[in-house]
Amino acid sequence: MTEHRDQFDRAVELLKEPVELRADLEQRIMAEVASGPRPKVWTGRFWRAGNWVRRGRPVSVSPLGGLALAAGIVGVLFVGRALPRPEAPAPAPLAEAQGATVAQFVILQPTAASVSLVGDFNDWNSSSTPMRRAGSSGIWIVTVPLDPGRYRYAFLVDGATWVSDPSSPPALDDEFGPPSSVVTIGGS
Amino acid sequence: MTSTTKWLVRVLGCAAIVTCGMVASAGAQDARLEGRVPEAVRTEVDVIVEGARAAGLPTEALIDRALEGASKGADGTRIVAAVRRLRDELGMARDAMGSASTAAELVAGASALRAGASADHLNLLRSQRADEPLTVAAAVLADLVAVGVPVDTAVTAVLALAEGANDTEFIAFRRNVERDIALGASPVAALGVRLDLAAEVFTTDRAPPPSPRKP
Repeated sequence: MTEHRDQFDRAVELLKEPVELRADLEQRIMAEVASGPRPKVWTGRFWRAGNWVRRGRPVSVSPLGGLALAAGIVGVLFVGRALPRPEAPAPAPLAEAQGATVAQFVILQPTAASVSLVGDFNDWNSSSTPMRRAGSSGIWIVTVPLDPGRYRYAFLVDGATWVSDPSSPPALDDEFGPPSSVVTIGGS
Repeated sequence: MTSTTKWLVRVLGCAAIVTCGMVASAGAQDARLEGRVPEAVRTEVDVIVEGARAAGLPTEALIDRALEGASKGADGTRIVAAVRRLRDELGMARDAMGSASTAAELVAGASALRAGASADHLNLLRSQRADEPLTVAAAVLADLVAVGVPVDTAVTAVLALAEGANDTEFIAFRRNVERDIALGASPVAALGVRLDLAAEVFTTDRAPPPSPRKP
């Protein structure tokens, strides 16, 4: 224990001894600093352009010019509000999203090359709702979201033959010749 | 103001009036009919539709009827007659079911009238289902007639169900009757059996029970 204490005291004495610095120390340090990489500073035309932008300058506007400018700003604001906004990705109508029932339409047409569902819900457009063949069975299927109500419809086979739905009630008022069916979607 | 300037102002004024008239006219027409029916038919249908709109009737069904006729290749006379007839039926349905009826209710009511129900029947149906939509009830009435049930029997059945059945039960009832008919039952017998079963369900499950079936 006494031996460790002596070693400690000698170390303290050594640290207390004065250290002599070399006379050219300061010059050598400054030479090292000067030889290192310099910080980047904005110079040239970009700096001048920045100064041009920041510098204030007087602007004179006649009363008529000021009025025209104010009217222009107001006009832009109003036109901007009046213009139609870009359409969002077509969301389903709220009523349809909340109250629609997905109705499935099925018909057996083994020899048909194409079958379309045509009715009140698609403006009687024969190309709006093509049906898909389910395997090789000859069954054609399509599903359509329908709000509560009563809809007339028919199937158009191969773009030429109107066929009513044998699984739904027939429309009583077929005033146009080819038969239609009706489907009723309830709400309660 | 020189004479040339006056002339120019008058020409521009007339052009503005004509343009406004064309825009207003185009706004009144339904674009879906464009190219689907002959122009003369379209004009007649537009007049009927505008009259219906002014009378507070739903117009979508009228356009749909015209489009159906166009898709099926019907001639213009039949299309206009069908649209006009539906307009009249919608008006009768509105008078019977009340001005607060929805478009779907009036379309179904018009179908019931076409099936042979009377305005009094629709009025009675409304009074029995004052707080419920009438769309399905009126549609089931028309559907039952379409599968062969006599009008009076169908009306009696629907009125019997009206106080207790909801839309789902109405549709199930109609499907059951259709299935029984498809299996060989007579329409009246099928309706009677299904109505008795419905009466049993209502009697045991809820109050008030439906009225007994008309013999």
